[in-house]
Amino acid sequence: MAFHRSSPLLGSTPSGVTDTVRILVIEDDKDVASFIRSGLVQAGCNVDHASNGKDGLFLATTEKYDALIVDRMLPGVDGLTVIRTLRASANATPVLILSALGEVDDRVKGLKAGGDDYLVKPFAFSELLARLEALVRRAKGAGDNQTTVLRAADLEMDLLRREVRRAGQPIDLQPREFQLLEFLLRHTGQVVTRTMLLEGVWDYHFDPQTNVIDVHISRLRSKIDRGFDRPLLHTVRGVGYRLDG
Amino acid sequence: MRLRRLFRTSVFQLTLVYMVLFAASVGALSLFIYWATLGYLERQTSATIEAEINGLYEQFERRGLAGLADIINERVQRDAERRSVYLLADAIGRPLAGNVGYWPPTLDVGAEWVDFTKREENGIETPVRAALLRVGPGFRLLVGRDIRELADIRRELRRASVYGVTLTLGLALIGGLFMALSAQRRLAELNRTARQIIAGDLSRRAAVKGSRDEHDELAININAMLDQIENLLAGMRHVGDSVAHDLRGPLTRLRNRLETVASAAEPRREDLAECVQQLDQVLETFNALLRIARVESGAYRSAFTAVDLGAIVRDVCELYQAAADEQRIALRCEHEAAVEVFGDRELLAQALTNLLDNAVKYTPRGGTVTVRLTRGGDTASLSVADSGPGIAEADRSRVLQRFTRLDQARSQPGNGLGLALVNAVTLQHHGRLTLGDNAPGLVVTLEVPALAPAVAPL
Repeated sequence: MAFHRSSPLLGSTPSGVTDTVRILVIEDDKDVASFIRSGLVQAGCNVDHASNGKDGLFLATTEKYDALIVDRMLPGVDGLTVIRTLRASANATPVLILSALGEVDDRVKGLKAGGDDYLVKPFAFSELLARLEALVRRAKGAGDNQTTVLRAADLEMDLLRREVRRAGQPIDLQPREFQLLEFLLRHTGQVVTRTMLLEGVWDYHFDPQTNVIDVHISRLRSKIDRGFDRPLLHTVRGVGYRLDG
Repeated sequence: MRLRRLFRTSVFQLTLVYMVLFAASVGALSLFIYWATLGYLERQTSATIEAEINGLYEQFERRGLAGLADIINERVQRDAERRSVYLLADAIGRPLAGNVGYWPPTLDVGAEWVDFTKREENGIETPVRAALLRVGPGFRLLVGRDIRELADIRRELRRASVYGVTLTLGLALIGGLFMALSAQRRLAELNRTARQIIAGDLSRRAAVKGSRDEHDELAININAMLDQIENLLAGMRHVGDSVAHDLRGPLTRLRNRLETVASAAEPRREDLAECVQQLDQVLETFNALLRIARVESGAYRSAFTAVDLGAIVRDVCELYQAAADEQRIALRCEHEAAVEVFGDRELLAQALTNLLDNAVKYTPRGGTVTVRLTRGGDTASLSVADSGPGIAEADRSRVLQRFTRLDQARSQPGNGLGLALVNAVTLQHHGRLTLGDNAPGLVVTLEVPALAPAVAPL
């Protein structure tokens, strides 16, 4: 895994995995493309760029990528058509769809076409990186969906019995706290943003103005970290949270 | 020029068509009267002549030619008005008896009925209709009537028809001009008003006469439309001003800060991060505005489905429970099971989120926020009540507009778009948003039409 956290916003966590992540960016706006590209290169990714749907489709079908970032509005072949074509030819590469502010940000349509996640422009790069990382990890670990126990360090969650233990001690969680922790455990070591949590745990896709998510996290933190030397649930300032493994 | 324009008006053209139709009917009627009257008179004349000639023939058969001549002369004597015409002539046309001195030269001897003109000694010409009959070998009998009256009547009828049709055409033309002129005058007024509005004077209104006719109705509707447009424009101007005002502040601060960073010997990361944060605020305001605009455009309507408001209330309350606890605010949630409405889950959840956000933000520590979902008849009523400072009655309709921030709210973060979005969402769901007094505090009630509850299987 090569999401080196050299970005100042993300802090630095050495990844220790050597294979380079390959990303294809299909985006016609030169500024946005170079913004994404430089950010991803800094995070240690290998980035290809196509500025129209036709070239993008060609690259996506001939090369092997870990994830695609596809703009919805593209000259010639539009983004959704690119995704549909790929899916029709059994290409399962994870796709993150970008949609410009003010466009019909119909996420349902985007996801129906075969997109895996959806992000509205303008976005913070950290949000893009967090979502992209989640996509890549999920694709790589697609096989172990059957696991019934999730672990991070000495924290353990039994999905069947719906029990949580840390260092062998049982922790009592409310149903929503359980869901929240499950989501964090499935993204162990990754940064998850507030909107990702709202989407993944509450299934809402708007941005609540205030810090409602923060309060839920701090409650959860007090339950799993209080009384232990090593805190597991960290706040990544300005971005979101990370559960360390 | 004015007249030419008048001829082009549809009212005038309609009048012309009407005029032609009317004149044609008057013409047809005259024709009918002409034929009916004249036909009757002619038939009567012919019948009289026929009866007389038959009578004379009987006399001839009984008394012979000489007897016939006597009777004819006798009748001529008796006919003081000289309306009848008799002539008995031999084979070459020499008169034997009667009051015509010669056999009319143009007369076709083979015909049964003839029309000819009798010329008297004094030069007076009289039109005559007559019947012819052969009597005995080579003699001919002619019995006729002076039909001067018939001709007079015919002439009078013709003249009356022509006058009638002409008069009708004339009157219709005058009436048409009058109607076209008055219609034109009203329309010209409307057009003048329209041109003044196009020229930029939006305060102009079409004149309403109070006659409640179709012109008045049109004027009233146009005025209502103009009022609506003026309101919308005022709203747009307000939004435009507000956008400018609301964004100028943060953008100015951002610019200043960036300038400082740019001129600093060693730019600090924290300064830049703060710039990004400020820019995010500006973008958030933009996003909120766009979202309201999209909701108002009805873009979400096509995706409306049956949505359980109860589930949304549960979810959102749970989402805010922790935040309320932290502020020592008691968040109470009361809802009936499964109140379904036709709508968009995300929008309704965001509306409730905005309401709860406000409630939690403005309620002091130790206060209470109550979310209540009830169903009354076919209306779902969702209310959020708090024990905060409330909103004065005079300000209540104002806070639903974009960018309204009351003075006491200025210290709190916010962009003044929260309630505007709630209002837009409510309206898109054909609902009503009311702000009331919770004594103390504010109660916001969102009422939307509820779907009929599913009938439980027996």
